[in-house]
Amino acid sequence: MQREVGSLPLAPALRTRLVAAGFQTAQDLLETGPCGLSKEIGISKEEALEVLQVVRQECHGDAARTAGASDATRKCTALELLEEEQAQGFIITFCSALDNVLGGGVQLTKITEICGAPGVGKTQLCMQLAVDVQIPECFGGVAGEAVFIDTEGSFMVDRVADIATACVQHCQLIAEAHQEEDHLKALETFSLESILSHIYYFRCRDYIELLAQVYLLPDFLSEHSKVRLVVVDGIAFPFRHDFEDLSLRTRLLNGLAQQLIIIANDHKAAVVLTNQMTTRIGQSQSTLVPALGESWGHAATVRLIFHWDNSQRLATLYKSPSQKESTVPYHVTSHGFRDVQPPAVTQNAEDTEMNPRKRPRREEEK
Amino acid sequence: MVVLRVGLCPGLSEEMIQLLRANGIRTVVDFVSSDLEDVAQKCSLSYKALVAVRRVLLAQFSAFPTNGADLYEELKSSTAILPTGSPSLDQLLDSGLYTGEMTELMGAPGSGKTQVCLGIAASVSLGLKQHVLFLDSTGGFTASRLYQMLRAQAQAEEEQAALQRIQVVRVFNIYEMLSALQDLRDRLSQQVVSSTGPLKMVVIDSVSAVIYPLLGGKQSEGLAIMMQLARELKTLAREFSLAVVVTNQVTRDSSTGALKPALGRSWSFVPSTRVLLESKEATWEKATTQRVASLVKSPRQPTGIQVELDIG
Repeated sequence: MQREVGSLPLAPALRTRLVAAGFQTAQDLLETGPCGLSKEIGISKEEALEVLQVVRQECHGDAARTAGASDATRKCTALELLEEEQAQGFIITFCSALDNVLGGGVQLTKITEICGAPGVGKTQLCMQLAVDVQIPECFGGVAGEAVFIDTEGSFMVDRVADIATACVQHCQLIAEAHQEEDHLKALETFSLESILSHIYYFRCRDYIELLAQVYLLPDFLSEHSKVRLVVVDGIAFPFRHDFEDLSLRTRLLNGLAQQLIIIANDHKAAVVLTNQMTTRIGQSQSTLVPALGESWGHAATVRLIFHWDNSQRLATLYKSPSQKESTVPYHVTSHGFRDVQPPAVTQNAEDTEMNPRKRPRREEEK
Repeated sequence: MVVLRVGLCPGLSEEMIQLLRANGIRTVVDFVSSDLEDVAQKCSLSYKALVAVRRVLLAQFSAFPTNGADLYEELKSSTAILPTGSPSLDQLLDSGLYTGEMTELMGAPGSGKTQVCLGIAASVSLGLKQHVLFLDSTGGFTASRLYQMLRAQAQAEEEQAALQRIQVVRVFNIYEMLSALQDLRDRLSQQVVSSTGPLKMVVIDSVSAVIYPLLGGKQSEGLAIMMQLARELKTLAREFSLAVVVTNQVTRDSSTGALKPALGRSWSFVPSTRVLLESKEATWEKATTQRVASLVKSPRQPTGIQVELDIG
């Protein structure tokens, strides 16, 4: 119960006044009472009451924890966590090589960041995941809903409709092959309309809207408790232009990252972010690195970097707490995000150019 | 700077406090540093009573000197060296992690800090059978990876017990972290043995993730909170003989372009040992599990020593 005054979540001016007046622990504050407090520091009685309320909340939070109530806090042994993790599902990406590299797919309760040059397929993967999260459990999905926060305006509904139709067809083929009861029952609710109606779309035009949206997201998620995926497409875009104060940018980005981690953890959702690439000019050469600086690199738990190798798209797992780093090729087809077909099939050449919004890559731009 | 209150010591009564306050003596420091004869005259209080109160206050609030030999004996009996599970890292740290001290691991994203922390937790829990408290602020703690590491080292049936000895608390902002540490201190000082057991190590991954949202911009409260955290960690380490391991980020120096540890110069005085983790290859295009650990700050070894680690 000997919580230091300096460590309580109060306004900084108030904290300095309390410390200057000689209060050291929370116990001192509680003993003084609101009248004494307002006289000592020179604040109004209402403010003193508020301060004491905050202190009481913190101290009772501590007491509840020592008494053993572990539901409100996030405390458990590693064994319990292991059991939780093994029971958790993954969101598959329909590219089995990438799923293997990720250890089964995009993990829930973790932040995954996708970095890549323009046109390499980041938004395609995000749209694919928004559809895949809704796959019913009997087909191996998590049966959840998706929140899509768009800052660049690159979300195309007709493309999502194509991907969703292909996904439904895929599930229908599986159901026909296996002929099981729950497969057919699930297919009744898994259709194009239901998929599209369970993707909640938000459009944010600048960083203030984005911050507001993310800070309001917990309330939204407690109403829509089936959401298992939050996609922020283009987290770099609002922060990269017109920011004079770089230390403010770092501070805001880190606050955003912590808020997203809290959302991922409390609501058991996967958070997927897309980032841009920037050039770092070194002594003799320049390399492409993910944007937003070094400190942002620590925000995501899993980092995927998409890049080109001549005309083949490659995905590299760069940072992961449980998987080894490796690189796999992938394709973006008219059905969505897929594996690379073996070279015998002629589909290869046409499918790489299937994304009509982005201009095709030319050889000399490496 | 403790305010004079009724319960502080037996001789201090309410009227005495009011009289003292009327003459400008509000805190213990004021009382102890004032001339008692003067005070006795001005406040019309008995000199003997004031001297008695001062003796009690000094006994309660001032620090006692100890001599070096006693300190050495105490340290010898209470300090333990915990092996990290990786012989090359032990060699770097002069045979392991010392209790009573704070060790910091820093590195760029993907350099292996969480992996090394998991490895250390696994080694202490499995090898020494001690309890470990893991404070996770980034969401990077993956129990299945920890299980994989334990399986590689242990015989059958020991992994379950080892996993139960590692307690994980997820704290995502600085106030939650401070209350978790306060909670730990309460439990240790009351010696509640039930769930904690003989706790020997606290791992915090990472400390910069909770402090960064408060630093920068134009406000300076971040530094104050950071130092609160530092003081809390060091007191925990020293008083209860724990080894504290923290991880930190690196940022890029704007003028020279070199990588430097995050959280600035104030934090650089806090940990006693600092280890920098780097990947052997410079770019992300070549994937590897080899890492290089270099000693950046140490009270015992010369800095600049490098060893190679495999986090695979």
